[in-house]
Amino acid sequence: MSSAEMTSHDTDPNTPTAIRHTRVFLNSRREAIVIFGSWFVALCWSVPYCYIYGYGHQVDPETFSTTMGIPSWLFGGILLPWIVADVFTTWVCFFFMQDDELSHASDEDTHEAAEMVATEGGGA
Amino acid sequence: MIGLHVNLLAAGDSGNAVLWTFLIYMVGVFIIAGLSNRLLKNRDFLSEYFLGSRGLGVWAFALTLAATSSSGGSFMGFPSKIYTHGWSLGLWIGSYMVVPICVMGILGKRINEVARTAEAITIPDVLRDRFRSVAFGLVSVSLIVFFMTFNLIAQFKGGSTILKTLLGPIDAFTSSAASLPDWIGAMCNQGNEYLVCLVVFGVAVIVYTTYGGFHAVVWTDVMQGVVMVVGVLIMLPLAIMQAGEVAKTDKGAGLEQVTRAMARMVPPRKGTATITAVNTDQPVVVPSGSWIFLGTGENQRLLKIKSRYDLTASEPSATEAEVWEIVTPADIVQVRRRLESGSERSNVTGVVTISDEDLKDYAYGAKPEQAGSYVTGPGPEREKDHGFLPLSLAISFFFMWAISGTGQPSNMVRLMAFKDTITLRRSIFTVAIYYSAIYFPLVIIFCCARVLMPGMESEPDRIMPQMAVELTQNIGMGWLAGLLIAAPFAAVMSTVDSFLLMISSALVRDIYQRNINPDAEEKKIKMLSYVITMVAGLGALFGAMNPPEFLQDIIVYTGSGLAACFLAAVVYALYWPRSNSQGCIAAMTSGFAAHLSLYLIGFFQGHGGFSPYRPLGIDPILVGLAASFIIGFVVTLKTPPPPRDLVEKYFHEAS
Repeated sequence: MSSAEMTSHDTDPNTPTAIRHTRVFLNSRREAIVIFGSWFVALCWSVPYCYIYGYGHQVDPETFSTTMGIPSWLFGGILLPWIVADVFTTWVCFFFMQDDELSHASDEDTHEAAEMVATEGGGA
Repeated sequence: MIGLHVNLLAAGDSGNAVLWTFLIYMVGVFIIAGLSNRLLKNRDFLSEYFLGSRGLGVWAFALTLAATSSSGGSFMGFPSKIYTHGWSLGLWIGSYMVVPICVMGILGKRINEVARTAEAITIPDVLRDRFRSVAFGLVSVSLIVFFMTFNLIAQFKGGSTILKTLLGPIDAFTSSAASLPDWIGAMCNQGNEYLVCLVVFGVAVIVYTTYGGFHAVVWTDVMQGVVMVVGVLIMLPLAIMQAGEVAKTDKGAGLEQVTRAMARMVPPRKGTATITAVNTDQPVVVPSGSWIFLGTGENQRLLKIKSRYDLTASEPSATEAEVWEIVTPADIVQVRRRLESGSERSNVTGVVTISDEDLKDYAYGAKPEQAGSYVTGPGPEREKDHGFLPLSLAISFFFMWAISGTGQPSNMVRLMAFKDTITLRRSIFTVAIYYSAIYFPLVIIFCCARVLMPGMESEPDRIMPQMAVELTQNIGMGWLAGLLIAAPFAAVMSTVDSFLLMISSALVRDIYQRNINPDAEEKKIKMLSYVITMVAGLGALFGAMNPPEFLQDIIVYTGSGLAACFLAAVVYALYWPRSNSQGCIAAMTSGFAAHLSLYLIGFFQGHGGFSPYRPLGIDPILVGLAASFIIGFVVTLKTPPPPRDLVEKYFHEAS
């Protein structure tokens, strides 16, 4: 994704000039939303699935349903989504998450740069 | 004295293996500390000592975060819970499938950038500079020191208890502990053995953390992380193979039969009884964990006596002795088999008699309509009739691990230390694989333990070392037990060293250097860092000599409390340009207050110790987080926006 595509502008009417958000901020926010969403999906799948198929049932040891030796309700509710979560994590790590430059500017440098931007009306 | 058949061979072999493993392990730790101390030379001391100069690569970053998160609970408390409650622990730990990506991915990149921009070394540093607010820095320092001190005392006790469990079978250890002068023993209300372990554990951690700083902590974490995963991966096939063999039927063996055997299990009955020596002419020693068969034929019953009793001619009986009755037929057969093979400790059948029994069934799991409670939810529970993991608690734990983990300052400070975003991406992947290789396999291993070693409910915290010894000795490799047993010790050590460094960094950097003496020379800062780290460690060590009760509850309280305080404030600080110091301080204090108030209500309602009040069954972590996010949001909007230059510094491109 190009730098231009990553640009987001301040819409605050009090803002004298439009200034670009940092690339790290925009990428991080986008990635955080997707990751939080994955947690929510995991919650919405695992807990109801385990509750519906694994809670409060009378068990006959001979006919009790297992998958690869694990209770089927736990296999479908936790182990299978765990594998899916690992695949998702792999995708996020190697195909979705952006590599960004993590600046190491000193407080003073950064402050001066920010002041310059505001004063000169720089930015996008 | 009547000679009881007590098989101490297993204990002795494992004891030697543990001792050697422990010694080799400690040598490794001190070598790492020495090398780390050399790194401190020629670099900015504070940044190196507390943050490793933001230079952590993939393995160091991934394993330090993974090892710090996996405290002693993962290798002692978690296995004992699996053993006690069965397969439902799979759901209890389920959210670990997304813990790595949540804990590292939600805040990682952004907090690292902000910390670099602010040149911050600690989390209070970040918050103070992000809002240019001394008050915010001090509030966050106070909360970290408050929670971490409690937690450190609890972790010190956990570490000592593990060491005591590991070294218990070694004669040299028990005799040296017993020979301590009375005045030393009087300093500690937990006994001499505990005191010796506390001093050994505490001094070792304090010395290597103080001397080596962040790098020592990180590299010992790496070593500890490797020990943990290797231990689990060795145990998994051994456990399935051996338990499968015990549970095999004409339909096959393996995990399938282990689960079916668990489906037939009925929880044991716990209670008290009077134990009386049959022959009162001679003293009788009833070792802890002794078995006794009562009756004969189909009506034969099996009881386990939890503690040791010395019966004499003058006192031939012990009243109110804690006993557990094993009621599952297959378990009784297995105990008999283990006694015959010498794997079990002692059989006092015919040596003592049992009377005045007062035994109770589990509140959930013992009734016929609850058959199969070890393989279904909510799992058997001794005291609560709604089972171990009711729905509301299952939801709370999904929040607890992933979201609460994201809000831990000890994790956040590690996120400030990685080198670049490539390191972050690869580390998330590494930790995801690492957790997958540890947590669900642990559930399988200790479900197998139920079949292999019945009756451990009376001392569930010993299940990890006992299982390690059992599995390795059954294949004639008892020496391997040492490596497996080192895993829980490594886990608690890696947590303690990190917390210790967090407290000292808060005091040295955030209080002294930033508020009292900003112009302090590096030499002075260096000396102060060493002294404070050591003093904080010694303070926790002395606190743990007479620790408060309910330590596991205290660990849960501090972990969830830190998340309730810090998560909303840090999320707003990193991702909301409109956020200001007033809103974030409100988020932090309201999270603290909401969380604490539920614990106080629970305390005054007489729930006991640190048991909180749970409105509608909801855990205080959810209430604390909700209060923190909502109040922080409202206060921010009701107060003036932050200075423009501050927003530009942290959110806008410099050119």
